[in-house]
Amino acid sequence: MSQLDRTNCEEAFRRLNDYLDRRLTADELRIIEEHLKICAWCAREFNFEASVLYGVKRKLRQLEAPPELVSKILSQLPPTHQAES
Amino acid sequence: MTLNLGSPVAELSRVLTGTAPSSLPQADATASFESLFASCVSSAFGVAMRLTRNQADAEDLVQDAALLAHRAFDSFTPGTNFRAWFLKILINCYYSRRRREKCRPVTSDLDDTPDLYLYARSGEAGFPTQGPDPAAQLLEKLGTERIAEAINRLPEEYRVVSTLYFMDDLSYEEIAGVLRCPVGTVRSRLHRGRKMLQKALWQIAEEDGIVRQPAHQEDA
Repeated sequence: MSQLDRTNCEEAFRRLNDYLDRRLTADELRIIEEHLKICAWCAREFNFEASVLYGVKRKLRQLEAPPELVSKILSQLPPTHQAES
Repeated sequence: MTLNLGSPVAELSRVLTGTAPSSLPQADATASFESLFASCVSSAFGVAMRLTRNQADAEDLVQDAALLAHRAFDSFTPGTNFRAWFLKILINCYYSRRRREKCRPVTSDLDDTPDLYLYARSGEAGFPTQGPDPAAQLLEKLGTERIAEAINRLPEEYRVVSTLYFMDDLSYEEIAGVLRCPVGTVRSRLHRGRKMLQKALWQIAEEDGIVRQPAHQEDA
């Protein structure tokens, strides 16, 4: 993929989600990254989508389990693990 | 035009997938249930919070899952991903509760969300659409709880898969294992769920006055 045309943008966009999740093959990844180097529009769209995903992940992962939860749950388990029939 | 904007995208993508599934910690073959559970409880609690929407129910859900997991620990294969195994049990507990409560999925107006919804709306409203982390400003204004609320607004099947995706570094294959569904189903629900999430985020931004609501709502 060396030339920028409408087909390339559509092809790139079709692979946006798989690109963001690193689900592309090495060849597919290279093609998309080459396209993003020469297509400002796609690069901007991809960057924005990545920013949304990253931001949502970052925000949602700020949640910590209450400190007493582990001990509370573990205290209610049988004292030693045994195979049960 | 030759403009190298590939790097920031690649950088963000690397952050997104910073912990590759293959590099997830695998359970030590001799690790006890207690130590394995303690290592994944924050992640499990986070998923439970997003699913149940309140702390008391989330704690109960993690506790139910822990009791079942402890009882079934013999069936866990040492050296495999304990967190994925535990989340599978937790999700089963969640669905059992939902069936008992006879909860019905709410209807959603998110189904018809067009591509790049947030990008288009952000541009129209004067929020950044380019730069190193262009969505950060909007997400910062929304805050964690309202972003969680956006996930909560997704229809059930999209909410569960999106929760697993956003709260943990599970691969598509691991999420498919947790949900006992094909990888293709995970992929399509995730991709569609992301579009819906963007619309839900924007709806909340409008409700909270972060962006101005149009006089008459018109999507697309």
